Amino acid sequence: MTTLSDKPLLEHTVLSTAAGRLYRRQNVFTAIATGVVLAALVWWITNSIFSGGAWADDMTTVCMLTAWVVGFNLGIGTFNAVIYWMLGIDQTHEDELYAAGVGQGRKRYLKYCTDHKVVGTQYLVLVFVLFFVGGTLAMMIRTQLLSPHSSFLSPQTYNSIVTIHGMCMIIATIIMVSGPFANFIMPIMIGAKDMAFPRLNAMSIWVVISAVPCLVWTFFLDGGVNAGWTTYAPLSVQDGTAMDAFAITIIVFVVSVTVAGINTIVTVATMRAEGMTFGRLPVFVWGSVIGGALGLYAMPAFLISMCSMIADRATGTSFYVASGGGVGWLWENTFWIMGHPEVYVILIPPVAAMIEVIATFARKPVFAYKVIIGAFAGIAGLSIMVWAHHMFTTGWAPDLAGPFMLTTELISIPTGIIFLCIIGTLWRGSIWTRLPMYFVYLFLWNFIIGGVTGIYLSDVPADNYFHGNMFVTAHFHYTLLGGAMIAGAAGLCYWFPKVSGRMLDERIGKVAFWIIAVAFQVTYMAQFIAGAKGMPRRVANYDPMYHVENFVSSLGAYALMVGWMVLLYALVVSWISGEHAPANPWHSKTLEWHVPTPVPLENFLVDPVVTGDPYGYGEQGPAAAHVTFEYDGDRGGHP
Amino acid sequence: MSSEHPDLSADATVASPPLKPDAKENKKNVTVIAALWLVLTAIGIALSIWLTSALLPSSMSTEMGGVRSTVLVFSLAAAPVVAFVLATSIYSLLAWRKAPGSADVPPPDAPPLRGNAAATGIWLLTSSVLVVFLLVWGLSEWSAQQVVQPNDLVVKVTGQQWIWNFTYPDAKVDSHALVVPLGRQVQFNVTSLDVTHGFWPVQLGQQVDANPGLVTTIRVTPTHLGHFVVRCSQLCGLYHAYMYAQGDVVTAKAFEQFLEHHGASAATSAKVALLAARQGGQ
Repeated sequence: MTTLSDKPLLEHTVLSTAAGRLYRRQNVFTAIATGVVLAALVWWITNSIFSGGAWADDMTTVCMLTAWVVGFNLGIGTFNAVIYWMLGIDQTHEDELYAAGVGQGRKRYLKYCTDHKVVGTQYLVLVFVLFFVGGTLAMMIRTQLLSPHSSFLSPQTYNSIVTIHGMCMIIATIIMVSGPFANFIMPIMIGAKDMAFPRLNAMSIWVVISAVPCLVWTFFLDGGVNAGWTTYAPLSVQDGTAMDAFAITIIVFVVSVTVAGINTIVTVATMRAEGMTFGRLPVFVWGSVIGGALGLYAMPAFLISMCSMIADRATGTSFYVASGGGVGWLWENTFWIMGHPEVYVILIPPVAAMIEVIATFARKPVFAYKVIIGAFAGIAGLSIMVWAHHMFTTGWAPDLAGPFMLTTELISIPTGIIFLCIIGTLWRGSIWTRLPMYFVYLFLWNFIIGGVTGIYLSDVPADNYFHGNMFVTAHFHYTLLGGAMIAGAAGLCYWFPKVSGRMLDERIGKVAFWIIAVAFQVTYMAQFIAGAKGMPRRVANYDPMYHVENFVSSLGAYALMVGWMVLLYALVVSWISGEHAPANPWHSKTLEWHVPTPVPLENFLVDPVVTGDPYGYGEQGPAAAHVTFEYDGDRGGHP
Repeated sequence: MSSEHPDLSADATVASPPLKPDAKENKKNVTVIAALWLVLTAIGIALSIWLTSALLPSSMSTEMGGVRSTVLVFSLAAAPVVAFVLATSIYSLLAWRKAPGSADVPPPDAPPLRGNAAATGIWLLTSSVLVVFLLVWGLSEWSAQQVVQPNDLVVKVTGQQWIWNFTYPDAKVDSHALVVPLGRQVQFNVTSLDVTHGFWPVQLGQQVDANPGLVTTIRVTPTHLGHFVVRCSQLCGLYHAYMYAQGDVVTAKAFEQFLEHHGASAATSAKVALLAARQGGQ
């Protein structure tokens, strides 16, 4: 491998003062200003047009928030390229370099930046913010539930907090791995210089950022959204204008997820390095593609249901209103047609990331590579046919109970394969117990419990008891928080040195791990017990017979929050002042560890040529190598 | 190169003779894991039996009996699976963990076992058999619940924000407390006046949503005398937590008395029942 210390780095290019055109003047502050001004203008116009009409409030809210989102993205520069194109102005190479962040130092993190690593980092920060907000709301929920007749929160505030906690966490978990790591790491893994559509990539993050204020704002509109994150109609049709803001949040989020999903798929389809055949793709790349594709299937249903929800509220249609011929079952169907695949949009990328972690820290090839990719595909395929298990007790289509029981229980076969592959990879491995590996073991424990409790819920007669009670709450926290988020934490600790350029303080990290591991069990085991005894979920007050379980669960939840805060502390402190990370601290074979840290713009100083699969641990000879770097000059010009 | 070698032992032999699985070592792995697995399975079985009886409400109807037996049987079926995952992962930490040594250097690579057709096949077969078992059990339980018995009692249930109304159409009786006779199948015809509620007579082990503009149906056959609670299992707005009613399974004779008493002055007694229910709830 040739060293290239004499080759100038792209990011050191000196640009002229005109480079970037309008991008030079745009950042998050101009975005906020443009958004606010446009929103105020549209508010004034719609208010005067619809004033006094039956739908004035809803129409005004919808138009104003749409204007906010459009204005924010105008202000940040999302539409610059399109506008230049329409005006017939070609962007120069210098403009593109400016948009990629050249010469802007840290300021580029506050700008529309097409560098996939900057976008990935922006996603990471957003995920932390969302988890912090969602976690704080969870603390308020658990404080309310410390005692049976608590009046810490009013019932209305409690319901709106339950709603926003749910939606905040759902958004955060959907993007927690597909945002930061499918953007930062995945392109490097396949040997690409960036994503296939760098501008769409920057768009996906700024669009979702513009949606977050809409979500938070629901607290300040008409007493919030009171229908839970599932916003079942017709209850949600009764809600105040906060529900309009909620629907706009979802619609904008769907745009972001769609753009990001297409980008991921096209990147993997077209941007792989020489020799990176599909059979040599790291498992995480497969996970990102399958998760992204599943998102493309799921999200349109969310879009349609939210648009018709807005129509019901702001224009007097009656898709979901019984008195107008509508039916709430329509909402429940479209919601869960999105909602169940979405669970696997959340789960597949982090689990795939975790499998990279396991191969590296067991020093072994991934066990049954093709089988696990087949399992991911099988989960994705089955997951679009299971939605009505959320509706077993609604009374809708009783004759379909059997078929949906079948599809739901079938999904445990590919899910079981994931366990087989993890155990197979650990089998006779050289287990290197660094911090990421701790989270792998915690995942195994949590996810087997989450999985087993799911089989009771998949069974119609048993679900007729458990549905809508705390058992369900505990079950999906075991799968999504204990499963997906813990797998995501394994990925985060694994890739932290590459993303931040620093080593994570594992001493503090392990303290955080143990607090999280124990507090999590206390919190949700207590909820399993309350649920088994018959406590309904989403209640602000409860029968005193559930007091002990709830008290214990609340204490566990406080400790859990402390655990995550300690982990956050370790991350922040390490990011600021940790030891500088070598390029490949784990001696891993995948490509992202074979570029310098910090990763230069366009990632590769020399084009990589992939010669084998990325898991040749313990192999001898050529099978052990994944990649070679051939300097352009040596080959007389790389093709 | 191929990314998966179905025959791992052959591959390992070719790749690196010193890494060839040591038969004795492998035997030790399997023996210890099997022992751990047996112990954990036994613990799992004990926990399944104990938790099912300790946590779930005692059975007041055929349906709740079904819930209890389903949870028990599924737990028993899951216990060996959970035990296997835990046994192997615990063993991997005990036996295969390599001391960190110098902190930043990984332990030497492990043998490149890229798959094992037999293990994958057995795993697939086992999980498929378990799934078929779950399905057959669930379907037979479910279809048994669909049987309508002659001489069943119809009760109309109407949810509204945030109260339950019960009507006995044959006797023309309205009530806010749910009284059902022992041993006779009850069919609940459930609807709602406003938003979606969840009609859940907890200890009877059944529930169905109350949807505005629609009637949904569930049936239960009470098997034990006693008190139960009707809760709302769908978030239905401000006082969702307070949407509950009191219920009783009574003898056929007491049930007749209840109907006569309420039939005489439905409006008054409904109010009395409501007050009683409110007091009972606190």
